Amino acid sequence: MKRKTVVFSMLAIIIAAILVLAPACSSGTTTAAVPQILRVNLGSEPAQIDPNQASWAQEKSVVSQVFVGLLGFNQDLTLRADVATVIPTVANKGISADGLTITFKLRNNVTWSDGQKVTANDFVYSIKREFDPTLACAYASFYYDIVGGEAYNSATNATDAQLATLKDAVGVSAPDDTTLVVKLNNPQPTMLQCMALWPVYPVRADIIAKYGNNWTDPPNYIGDGPYLLTEWVHQDHLTFKPNPNYWGTKPKLAEIDFKEITDANAALAAYQNNELDIVGVPSGTEKTFLNDKTYDDQRNLFNDLTTFAFQFNVTKAPFDNVLVRQALSCAIDRDSYISNVVGGIGKPALSWIPPGMPGYNATIGSQYAFNVTKAKQLLAQAGYSDVSKLPQITFSYSNTAANTVRAQFLQGQMKDNLGINIILDPEESKTFTTNVNSGKFMWAYFGWGADYPDPDDWLPSLFGTGAGNNHTLYSNPAFDALSATALKEQDNTKRLADWDQAQKMVMDDAPIVTIFYRERFNLVKTTVKGLKTTGMDGGIIGDTFFNEVSISK
Amino acid sequence: MTRFVIRRVLWMLLVLLVVSFITFTLMHLVPGGPWSREKALAPAVVAALNARYGLDKPFFVQYANFLLGILHGNLGISYTYQDRSVTQILMQGFPKTAILGTTAFVFAMIVGISLGMAAALRQNTWIDYVCVMFSTIFASVPGFVLGILLMIVFSVVLHWFPTGGWGSPSQIVMPAIALAALPAAFIARITRASTLETMRQDYVRTARSKGLLERVVLIRHILRNSLIPVVTVAGPQFAALVTGSVIVETIFSIPGIGRLFVQAVFARDYGLIMGTVLFYSFVISVANLVVDILYGVIDPRIRYD
Repeated sequence: MKRKTVVFSMLAIIIAAILVLAPACSSGTTTAAVPQILRVNLGSEPAQIDPNQASWAQEKSVVSQVFVGLLGFNQDLTLRADVATVIPTVANKGISADGLTITFKLRNNVTWSDGQKVTANDFVYSIKREFDPTLACAYASFYYDIVGGEAYNSATNATDAQLATLKDAVGVSAPDDTTLVVKLNNPQPTMLQCMALWPVYPVRADIIAKYGNNWTDPPNYIGDGPYLLTEWVHQDHLTFKPNPNYWGTKPKLAEIDFKEITDANAALAAYQNNELDIVGVPSGTEKTFLNDKTYDDQRNLFNDLTTFAFQFNVTKAPFDNVLVRQALSCAIDRDSYISNVVGGIGKPALSWIPPGMPGYNATIGSQYAFNVTKAKQLLAQAGYSDVSKLPQITFSYSNTAANTVRAQFLQGQMKDNLGINIILDPEESKTFTTNVNSGKFMWAYFGWGADYPDPDDWLPSLFGTGAGNNHTLYSNPAFDALSATALKEQDNTKRLADWDQAQKMVMDDAPIVTIFYRERFNLVKTTVKGLKTTGMDGGIIGDTFFNEVSISK
Repeated sequence: MTRFVIRRVLWMLLVLLVVSFITFTLMHLVPGGPWSREKALAPAVVAALNARYGLDKPFFVQYANFLLGILHGNLGISYTYQDRSVTQILMQGFPKTAILGTTAFVFAMIVGISLGMAAALRQNTWIDYVCVMFSTIFASVPGFVLGILLMIVFSVVLHWFPTGGWGSPSQIVMPAIALAALPAAFIARITRASTLETMRQDYVRTARSKGLLERVVLIRHILRNSLIPVVTVAGPQFAALVTGSVIVETIFSIPGIGRLFVQAVFARDYGLIMGTVLFYSFVISVANLVVDILYGVIDPRIRYD
């Protein structure tokens, strides 16, 4: 009797403790004024929030709240002058006639969060720092058209004296506090778009000199943007509060919480438990949330500037034959992919550059619309009317759950439509990347997202001969020649026409099979007002316009 | 006893050295590196990064530099989290993982030992069957299923607990339960078997025949002796719990070091991998040493030279 009592009473105490703790921990409701707090999920720990060194979407989300650059992007992806007074053009003498010199005029009321003025020297420091070889900033290569940039960035074994000389030779200068002059090697029209990106946001030389690597910890993380990073509990959350010395329109939110919930389903549970205001719909649950009426006014869908495709290695048979590539492209039912593989979210893609940005052309690639008869004809023309004569095809991909479904879809399409058996080759993520980057693949899953909304981010570095991101090993001298002229073409209409022609050239040769343009599918609480989503958003939707968001009842 | 401890410590250092060398070699053999990305970085940038982190030096030079760093108490720098050293990262995350692990350990021990003993003392009654059933269920349900289930029931539906994070006691309850389930089941089974065996011993019969109260027999004779096998497993269990569970920490977003190691391997963060591996090896070695010393305390028959 007594032993039983001891054991049972221990169990009872434990259960009672849980029951007592539980209701006491559930959040009560407030009847006071609606707190202006936005809670979102960053998803993972940002590795590096130093603007010059940041490169991932999560890091961009953090930097966008605390810093403002010379230029920014509007919701329609046109440029906007932020710290600069106007966007430099040839007409307003901001860009020289030969296109080699860009002059920015800065506002004189721009301040840092500690009250000091932002001057052109801050931008000079930042741009030179972007090229610093000891920092090895990921986006430095985007600015190589600036005089002296590439030389400085490549000087990894130079002495301090040599580094100092190279740094001085970088073509940025500040004749006075409100004028910034940037000298280019070539007239690169998209340099303005690059100047709107975060790697050249201004940073404080004195703060960095004083705190070194710790300058990104609050309260040293001084920026000129609408918010201050007030707290960063590593791996857990980041908290932003309004910058009291902000020179622009004061933001409406009193606080933004970036939580770091890595599991997509846990994040969804948090949203349903009212701990988050915005959440991404986990892969695989899209249909549920598209059809559930209770979420009617919480759905948020918009096109991302991202296209997914299957890329061929055009040096490996049978993919060295353009007819085979074109045939396989015609044999894939993209509509079925959208509805069965990605839960109905996204649009089928026949061209490469996605809708919502300059360069999108719906007619390009239309010859690859789903047509099995045509596919078989093309194969026959290539000499493969009997598909068993084809060499064994292997499709490689990074072994996530979502990719497995995509690969199986492709395998099914090849088998059902053409009778071709392909072997699936799942690989661990970095191993896959390494293999693709060194050409050890036949056919692989592949995606590309815009760094900035212009065709020259989508074509030369992917399809130019020997280009850094050209893993299809596609080489077309006509395309190379056209790219070379288009990159420097100052007449925007002609430039876009050139890129259009270049895109058509590539898609006609089919080194890749484009499948779909991604859409971002999120749930947003009805209390969140003023959310503006754009194709240039970072890790969290609407994060480039959080200064316009407010919370209502 | 002192000589025993010193010998064990020396062995521990040797083990750590071998572990570090094997890990270092494997790490560099695996394809891909810290800078491999789908959007390839410019070659000049990659060269600069390699120079910055000393990755352009020969293999043995890098390993020697790493060992030299250890001698100075420096576990290295992380390649992904560039503003903090590995030591800082571990020190920030370890207390949280340790608290969670310790809470789960306490849960597991209390529940496991209680269930196990109850089952043994009331063998073949309904109590026994219920306890065995619970321990089988907890041993069979995977951690991530249990975790998500708890989250859905207690957070989304009942709103009793927050879904995750760290900071308040209510955020420890669900992850600790999810983490404790399997060890509790395991400990329950071992306790039951061990208690059954102890109950059959002669000295227990002697104690009863002396006229001692059943409670005294239980606490003074049965409990202490049946716990020896439990201590055997408790030590490694504690080490495993304290070094964290990837799954539970991921699901409940606990900012600890449990998932840090797996993330570091996927990111090829050489600095963090080496530091974490050494740290884990150290913790596990120390835990095993402590267990062995505890034997001597619990069971006076065990003596070390």
